[in-house]
Amino acid sequence: MSLINPSDSLERQNEKLIKITEALMRRVEYGTAQSGAAYAQFERAALLERRVRERTLELERTLDLLHESNAQLALANQETEAARRNLADAIETVSEGFALFDGDDDLVMCNSRFCRDFRDTTRDLRPGLAFEGYVERISRSRYLALPEGVTPEAWAEQRIRRHKDRRVMFNVQLAHDRWLQVSEHRTANGGTVVLQTDVTDIIRLERQERTRLKDKQARMIRATLDHLNQGVAIFDENARLVGWNAKIGTLLSIPARRLHIGASFQSLLDQLGDDFDFTRGIDRAGFGHWARSEGPRDPISFEVRHGGIQTLQIFGRGMPDRGFVISCTDVTAEREAAAKLYEMNEILEQRVMERTLELEDALSAAERANASKSRFVAAASHDLLQPLSAAKLFISSLSDRLVDDSDAAVLAKAESALTSAEQLIDALLDISKLESDALRFDVRPVALAEILGPLRDEMGMLAAAKGLSLRIVESTLTVETDPAYLRRIVQNLMANAIRYTTRGRVVVGVRRNGGSARIEVWDTGPGIAEADQGTIFEEFKRLDTRASSNDGLGLGLAIVERACARLGHPLGLWSEPGRGSCFMVNVPVAHAETPATPPRARSARPKGLAQAGMIVLLVENDAQLRRAISILVESWGVNVIEAEDAETALQLLADLEIAPDAMLLDHQLGRGMTGVELYEVITGMLGPLPCAVISADRSPHLRQLCKGVGLDLLQKPLDRHKLIQFLDMVAAADPG
Amino acid sequence: MKGALCIAQIAATDPTPVDAILSQLGPGPFELVCLFVSPDADFTTLTQAASGRFGDADVMACTTAGELGRDGYEDGQIIAVAFPSSLFAVRSYVVDGLDSFDEQQLIDRLIQSRLELSRRAPDMPAEFAFLMVDGLSLREEHLTTVLASGLGPMPLFGGSSGDGTDFHATYLSHNGRVRQNAALIAMVRSRCPVRVFSLDHLVPTETRMVVTSADPDARIVHEINAEPAAAEYARLLGKDPNQLDPFTFAAHPVVVRLGDTHHVRAIQRVNEDGHLVFFSAINEGMVLTLAKHNDIAEHLREGLAGLAQSGRPRQILGCDCILRRIEAGQSQKTREISAILRDNNLVGFSTYGEQIGALHVNQTLTGVAIYPPEDEAL
Repeated sequence: MSLINPSDSLERQNEKLIKITEALMRRVEYGTAQSGAAYAQFERAALLERRVRERTLELERTLDLLHESNAQLALANQETEAARRNLADAIETVSEGFALFDGDDDLVMCNSRFCRDFRDTTRDLRPGLAFEGYVERISRSRYLALPEGVTPEAWAEQRIRRHKDRRVMFNVQLAHDRWLQVSEHRTANGGTVVLQTDVTDIIRLERQERTRLKDKQARMIRATLDHLNQGVAIFDENARLVGWNAKIGTLLSIPARRLHIGASFQSLLDQLGDDFDFTRGIDRAGFGHWARSEGPRDPISFEVRHGGIQTLQIFGRGMPDRGFVISCTDVTAEREAAAKLYEMNEILEQRVMERTLELEDALSAAERANASKSRFVAAASHDLLQPLSAAKLFISSLSDRLVDDSDAAVLAKAESALTSAEQLIDALLDISKLESDALRFDVRPVALAEILGPLRDEMGMLAAAKGLSLRIVESTLTVETDPAYLRRIVQNLMANAIRYTTRGRVVVGVRRNGGSARIEVWDTGPGIAEADQGTIFEEFKRLDTRASSNDGLGLGLAIVERACARLGHPLGLWSEPGRGSCFMVNVPVAHAETPATPPRARSARPKGLAQAGMIVLLVENDAQLRRAISILVESWGVNVIEAEDAETALQLLADLEIAPDAMLLDHQLGRGMTGVELYEVITGMLGPLPCAVISADRSPHLRQLCKGVGLDLLQKPLDRHKLIQFLDMVAAADPG
Repeated sequence: MKGALCIAQIAATDPTPVDAILSQLGPGPFELVCLFVSPDADFTTLTQAASGRFGDADVMACTTAGELGRDGYEDGQIIAVAFPSSLFAVRSYVVDGLDSFDEQQLIDRLIQSRLELSRRAPDMPAEFAFLMVDGLSLREEHLTTVLASGLGPMPLFGGSSGDGTDFHATYLSHNGRVRQNAALIAMVRSRCPVRVFSLDHLVPTETRMVVTSADPDARIVHEINAEPAAAEYARLLGKDPNQLDPFTFAAHPVVVRLGDTHHVRAIQRVNEDGHLVFFSAINEGMVLTLAKHNDIAEHLREGLAGLAQSGRPRQILGCDCILRRIEAGQSQKTREISAILRDNNLVGFSTYGEQIGALHVNQTLTGVAIYPPEDEAL
C-alpha cells in the first residue's frame, strides 16, 4: 500500500505530501529536543539501552571499589588512631620523662612526666615545638640550677651542641639539689627520643658512699700501718709528722708523747740518743740533710746499730707531694745469721780445697799408672822389635857374603823366622790396642782406591810367590772409616786368603750395597765347614794344621774381627768346603763426595811416606820421649834407629854401616856433644843429611844456631804435624 | 516437579481466598508473595486480608487482563506466586504518583537498596527486578527510563496492570494498601540462575506511514499521512474504517524501527474522533511500519525451547500482552498456546503492556525463566 491514496486528486496528494514532509522535518529537527516527551525517552532508551547498561555496570564496579577503599581507609584510620593511642598509653607508662622529636626536630609527643620538674615550661610543650624552643625554655626555667658563671644562653648553646652528637647522656642539676639524667636516642628515621630520669637519689647515695669510702680508706691505712712488722713514719712536705705506727716508737725508742701530728723530723732525729750508731750507708747529718732537701729525693737505705746489740735497717723514700716515708726494720737476727753463714762458708771452702787437693793427687797417681802401662806396652813392643830389626839387618848384610847355598837357605829360614816374630809382635800390639778403651779411631771419608791400590803391590808379590793369581777390581767409592784399620783388615783378609789357598786365585772386589760398600775377598782355598765358621776368628786358631808355622799364628782374623766390631763394620763369611771362601766387610759409603784429600794435617800421611822405606836416626837422651817418638814415627811406616846420646849414635851408625835418610836430634844430650855438634860430626862422615833439631830451649840463641847451619828446629813438646811435615819433605826430596 | 517458586491458584469467587492460598503455598517462609488478581475479584478486600498473613513476606498485587495459570490462558482467577526465603532475597519498593515523583531520590534509593540486597545475600548471585505498573498511567516510558538508571545492571521486566478488556481502571496493592498511578518494584536475588527474556513474533512489512499529527502525552495519533488516523490505518489495511476493533489491532500491529530492531506500538482503540489511542508512546513525525506476524504458537514454542537450551527452567514468570491472547483467540490457537504455557510451567498475567530494561513495549511475552540452583541435584 502506498503512502498516498492514489485515488486522491493530485492537489490533495501534493497537500498531504507537504504535510507529511513537514511532520518528518519537525521530527528530525525537534524530535530529540523534546526530551521530556515519552516517545523521545523511549527512543533514547531503545537506542542507548545497551550502552547505558554497560556504562552503569562500570560505574557500579567503580562504586564498589570506592566503597572498598573507603572501608579500608576507615580501617586504616582506625588502626592509626589505635596505634597512636597505644603509643601514647605506652609512653605514659614509662617511668621516665619521654619525648619524641621527629626528623625536623619538632616535638611529636611527650608523656606527662617529661619536664615535670620544670613546671614553668610544661604549658609550652605542645606537638610541633622545635627542639631549640624546648632547650631555650629549659634554659630560662627557674628550676634549672645553672653552673656558676654560665648564662642561660650559654647553657642552651652548649645543650644544642650536645644534641648534634650521636649519643647524648648527661646530668642536669635542678634547684633544691635535685638531679636529672638526660639522654638522647636517635630513631631510625632521624628523629630523637629524649629521656629524663630522676637520678637525685642515686647521686645523693653516691655522695654518701664516697664520704664513707674516704673514712674506710683511712681506717684501712691505719690498720695496715699497725699490722706492719716495720716501723713507719710519714712526713709532709714540711718534714712534719703526719702518720706513723706504734712500732716505730718501739724500734727507735721514741717516747709516745713525742710522736704527734706536726712533730718535726729534726726534733725526732735529735731525739735518737748517742747509742744509735750509723753503721752503713749514711751518717746522722746526711740523713738530716736528705730529709730537709728540697725537690725530689732519691730513696735511701742504711743501717744503724742500737746499743751495740740491735741492728736496724732504715729505708726512706720521697712521695709525690714532696713529703717522705721512713720505714724501720729490725734486722738483728738476719745480720747475725748472715755472719754465721759467712763463717760456715769459710770452713766449707777450706774443706773443699783440701778434698780437691787429695783428689788431684789421686788423679795424678792414676794418670801416672796409666802412662806407665802405656809406656810399658810401647816399650815392650819396641824393645822386642828393635833387636829383631837389628837382627834382620845383620842377616841381610850377611846374605851378601854367603856363597854356600845350604848356608844361604839356613840364613833365609832365619830371616823368615825373624819376620814371623816381628809380625806376631805387631799383631799382639794391634790386639792390645783394639781391646784398650783408650783407642781412638780416625774416621773420615776415604777413597777405597787409596786402600786397595797399595795392597795390590804388596800382596801381588806374596801371591806370585805361591803361584796364585791375584785380582783386585778397581773401585771409585769413598767410604767412611779409619783408613789405617781398614787397610789392616783388608790386608789381613788378603794375606789369610793367600796363605790358605794352594792353587787357583784370590779376587778382591767392592759391591755397592745400599748405603754401604761391601769389600769382598774371594779365594779358591779349601773352604771352611759350617761348624768351624764361628771359631776361626778366635786367637791362635788355625784350621789347616799342615800349614807352616811360619805362615802365622792365626792372629789375622782375630784382628779383623775386633777391628770390624770396634769400627762398626759388619763382617760376613760365605764358605763351602772344597770350593772356597769369601769374607765380606760392609763399610758405610761417605755421604758427600768429599775430596780424597784429608781435611786435617793430623791425618795427613802422604801416600809416599809408608812406601818410602825411610830410615831415621833418632837421638834423644830422655828414654820415654825417645820411645814415644820412635813409636809415632814407626806407625807412619818409617824405620827408626835410635840412640841415647851422641856417642851411642855414632857407634850404632858404625855398627850398622848405613846412612839414615834423615835425623832427629835432641839438642841437649846430657854429657858429650849437643845435637847440633853431633849433626856436624855425622855430616862430616856421611855427607849432608836432612836433619831436625828437637829442643825445649826456646832461646833465640838456639834458633840462630840452627838457622846458621840450615837445620829445622822442632820445639818441645813435639808437634806431630810439624814432624810429619819434615818427614814428608824428606820423602818427597829423596824418593829412593 | 518441585518448583523454585511456590504457586497457588484459586477462583476469584473463593469465599476465603487467603486461607486457600495459604494452604496451597505451604508453610514458607517467603520473601515475597505476588498476587495477580482477576478484575472479577474484590481486589481491596483480598489484598487487605492477605497483608501480614505470609509472615514477614511483602505482598504485592495487581489487577489483570486475564491470568496465566495452571491451564495456560485463564480468566476469573487469583494467582499467587511466592518466593521462598531459602532461594530468594527480595526488596520491594513502591513508587507513587507516577507523573510527579522525584526521579533522583528514586534512583538513589534504588541504588542503596540494591547494594544493601547484594550485601545481604552474597550467596545468591542471580538477580532481576520485577515491575508491576498501573496500565492506564501513560507513564511507563518515563518510569522505566528512571528505573534503568537506578537498577544499573539488574535486568528489569514487568507488566502493566490490566482491567480485563475494559480499559477502565487498574489497581495495585502493596502490603494491603491499594494504589493507582503507581508502580511496585521487587528487586530479587536468587540462588537459582535466572534469564530475563522478551518474545515477539512480528515481522515488519514494506508498508509505512507517517504520523503527521498527534498528542504524545495522551498517546493519541490524530493524523496519519495527513489523513485522519483511523481512516488511513484502515485504508492501508484495506479495511472499512468503521470495522476497526481490538481484533484488527491484534492482527495488524504497527511497529517503529529503531536501528536494526523494531518495537511494537500497539493500538488500544479508536476514539470517537476517529483518532487512534496507543498503548505506548508516540510522536509526530514518527514512521510506523505495518507488521505481519508469524505463527504465534510455533513462535512461542521455539522461543520457550530456546530458554531451555542449556537446561529446562523450573518455572517461568511471564507478562503476556492482552493483544497476544486476542490474536490467539482470533486464530483459534488459544488451546495450543495454553498447552505450551502449561508445559513450560509459565505463570503470570495478561497485561496492558510489558517492560523490558528501559523500554515499555507491546504485544510481547516478557518474563524471567528460573532455573534449578546450580548446587542442587537435578
